[in-house]
Amino acid sequence: MRAYAVSRLAQTALVVFLSLTAVFAMVRLSGDPVLLFMPMDIQAKDVNEFRQRLGFNDPLPVQYARFVGGALRGDFGESLRYRRDAMGLVLERLPATLLLAGASLLLTLAVAVPLGVLSAVRRDGFLDHVGTISAVLGQATPGFWLGLMLIYLFSVQLRWLPTGGIGSVAHLVMPSIVLAAFYSARITRLTRSAVLEVLGEEYILTARAKGLGEGRVIGKHTLRNSAIPIVTLAGLELGQILGGAVITETIFAWPGLGRLTVQALLNRDFPVVLAAVFFISVTYTLLNLAVDLLYGWLDPRVRLR
Amino acid sequence: MRRVNALLVFSIGLVLLGAAAAGAQGRGKEIVVGLGAEPRTMLAATIVDWTTNNMLEHIYDRLLDRDPKTFKPKPMLAESWRIVNDTTWEFKLRRGVKFHNGEPFTAASVKATIDYALDPATKSHFASAAYWGLVKEVQIVDDFTVRFVTKQPWPNMVDSASLTNSLIMPAKALKDLGPEKLAQHPIGTGPFKFVEWKRDERLVLERNADYWQGPADATRVTFRFIPEFSARLAALLSGEIDVMKDVPPHVVDAVERSGRAKLRATVSSRINYLALVNLKPGPMQDVRVRRAMNHAVDVDELIKQVLKGRASRMCGPLSPANVDYAPAECYKHDVARAHALFKDAGVDPTKLQLTLDTPSGRYPLDKDVSLAIAAQLQRLGIKVNVVVNEWGTHLDKIKNRNTGEMFFLGWGPALHGQGTMQPLFLGDQTYSSYGNNKILDEKIARAQTLLEPKARADAYAELQRLVRDEAPWVFLWQQHDLYGVASHIEWTPRADEKVWMYEARVTPR
Repeated sequence: MRAYAVSRLAQTALVVFLSLTAVFAMVRLSGDPVLLFMPMDIQAKDVNEFRQRLGFNDPLPVQYARFVGGALRGDFGESLRYRRDAMGLVLERLPATLLLAGASLLLTLAVAVPLGVLSAVRRDGFLDHVGTISAVLGQATPGFWLGLMLIYLFSVQLRWLPTGGIGSVAHLVMPSIVLAAFYSARITRLTRSAVLEVLGEEYILTARAKGLGEGRVIGKHTLRNSAIPIVTLAGLELGQILGGAVITETIFAWPGLGRLTVQALLNRDFPVVLAAVFFISVTYTLLNLAVDLLYGWLDPRVRLR
Repeated sequence: MRRVNALLVFSIGLVLLGAAAAGAQGRGKEIVVGLGAEPRTMLAATIVDWTTNNMLEHIYDRLLDRDPKTFKPKPMLAESWRIVNDTTWEFKLRRGVKFHNGEPFTAASVKATIDYALDPATKSHFASAAYWGLVKEVQIVDDFTVRFVTKQPWPNMVDSASLTNSLIMPAKALKDLGPEKLAQHPIGTGPFKFVEWKRDERLVLERNADYWQGPADATRVTFRFIPEFSARLAALLSGEIDVMKDVPPHVVDAVERSGRAKLRATVSSRINYLALVNLKPGPMQDVRVRRAMNHAVDVDELIKQVLKGRASRMCGPLSPANVDYAPAECYKHDVARAHALFKDAGVDPTKLQLTLDTPSGRYPLDKDVSLAIAAQLQRLGIKVNVVVNEWGTHLDKIKNRNTGEMFFLGWGPALHGQGTMQPLFLGDQTYSSYGNNKILDEKIARAQTLLEPKARADAYAELQRLVRDEAPWVFLWQQHDLYGVASHIEWTPRADEKVWMYEARVTPR
């Protein structure tokens, strides 16, 4: 178990290092960062002076070595645009991102798992069709469209909810719904097929034969045995929301990590991009590790070595 | 038990919802301004960026303000100014002004601020020659008299001092606390004091009751950062924000009909143009082709059809909002004349294949305008390939001279001649598309050293005539700035894009 965890952590380090190297190469190829944070009427020689001062005139290997050296010490440099510690900017966005990710994951599971189970149990029934249709709709509806429609209905027309920003539970409602609509679609479908598969097992027949109530059959015997794929998918989705709820964060002016990262990319704020990629890749791989460790708990037959 | 818990959570949620809704109603004399981006720093004299400095000038005052009608410099922290000799300007400063921390405003404040901007260690954008780079030193004559000694004659200096270039920081606090601390808690002389800045969320300011021009009507100004335009509009229509900049022309009706907000429009000093690139080989090196293009494009139609009338046509490189403006004769839309010029140049327009680079979303309907121009040129048989660029790529292409024969760009605030002529019509400048014209090079260099008003006016008038004839651009228009303003706020926008809530009146709802 411990050997397993250690080797997985080593893998994590490798993944993070490789993704940082790839992103470093890509952002350098994307163009000149200096123009985007300088005013347009600045003179050519001033632009060059800034580039020199910031080290962008050095050969790429030298810049890369300097970057790796800094990253090892946890120093990702100063944001070109905001002139503040890049990692600090990333960490500042963390609470908002965690809050949104947690809320939308809870909402996703609260809707998707019961819906998936009911669809499986009442296969081809009315609820199953409702589940299928809403899953297809949720998956097919673009987040920005749904977000804007919700804002129009609940903020502009009914004036029940704030259009965006962060602060109270009310601010959390619409962004969570938009994220959950997309992510719960997949989980509903997956839950349905996993439960259907388990329902066909002989031990379910046995459980029913010995007179267990339907609630216990489903709740205890079926759900736990179909949990592994659901947990896997939920873990992956959480990772995606943490780093990539860009559109939702932008529409609802949510001060999160995804929005910061995309803005940094558009502004070619390299230190911030790299700090964010570092952070997101670390969390993503650690989440995967956590999901793998959960398997052992869910299914004692799984032994991690 | 579980059911009780769920009920509890639900009712707590309802209470919070109610609280949020109540919050939107009872804002009193607070003004909330919705902006697309947040500031990049809280330090004055550091970063050139409209968004940043616009928020900063609620906290800091300028040395000189600008008259919103005539665009002429007028007193603010400085009461008067005069030219001492070719390379020396003198400012008399206002007495009795205090910073938010009680520190008096004196000549030392001005010197400390400019010294800060010029210090290479602070990496201030304002150290560039386009800003304070021409200043050799700032001399303190007495507590309320200060002299700017320049490296060369600099007639435009007062123009620079009447922009956000000259937001003044407190000398003692700058020295004792250092820029780092001041960036966290800015201290100015302005009408509002800093309360808090929540990153990517909001900047909150409160009224400075001791402001030297008298306290503002608004007790609180909050800038909220809402990146998505539609969400910003929704926030205006739902009453969450009171002022919004850059309402696109096609939703003007929606704002007017909402009953919650009204439209306030002004002609801007920001200009848009279509560059005809002569800095690389191609048909645009021939002045006849460039003139033909000006006759071929129907600018009035673009304004009417694409921009719904929300732009003012320009015939030369400077707009009437520019202090050095002189009227120029428009190129008339005249297809026959265009054909004649093409023929004269030996160019068959039906064989022309041109590329037009445009950004998308940077200027009002920029992409749509570019596509419409391509369609107009198509009427003459010219094939135009419109390339839509991400903003950073667009700038890279211009700088590396990698654009097509044409590109769309905006410039501003363009308030004085030098700021347009020098960076856009000299071949060695970052964003120029035209240059290497010996006569223009020489006249541009000369115009910026003329101190005497009449000589300067003549020089810039001649330059504008020359540029108009050289047709380095298809001259397009001044943008109109469109603001959405809540019904209970009285505020008139200005052409210089100073969105200053000190000038706003809040009527009780």
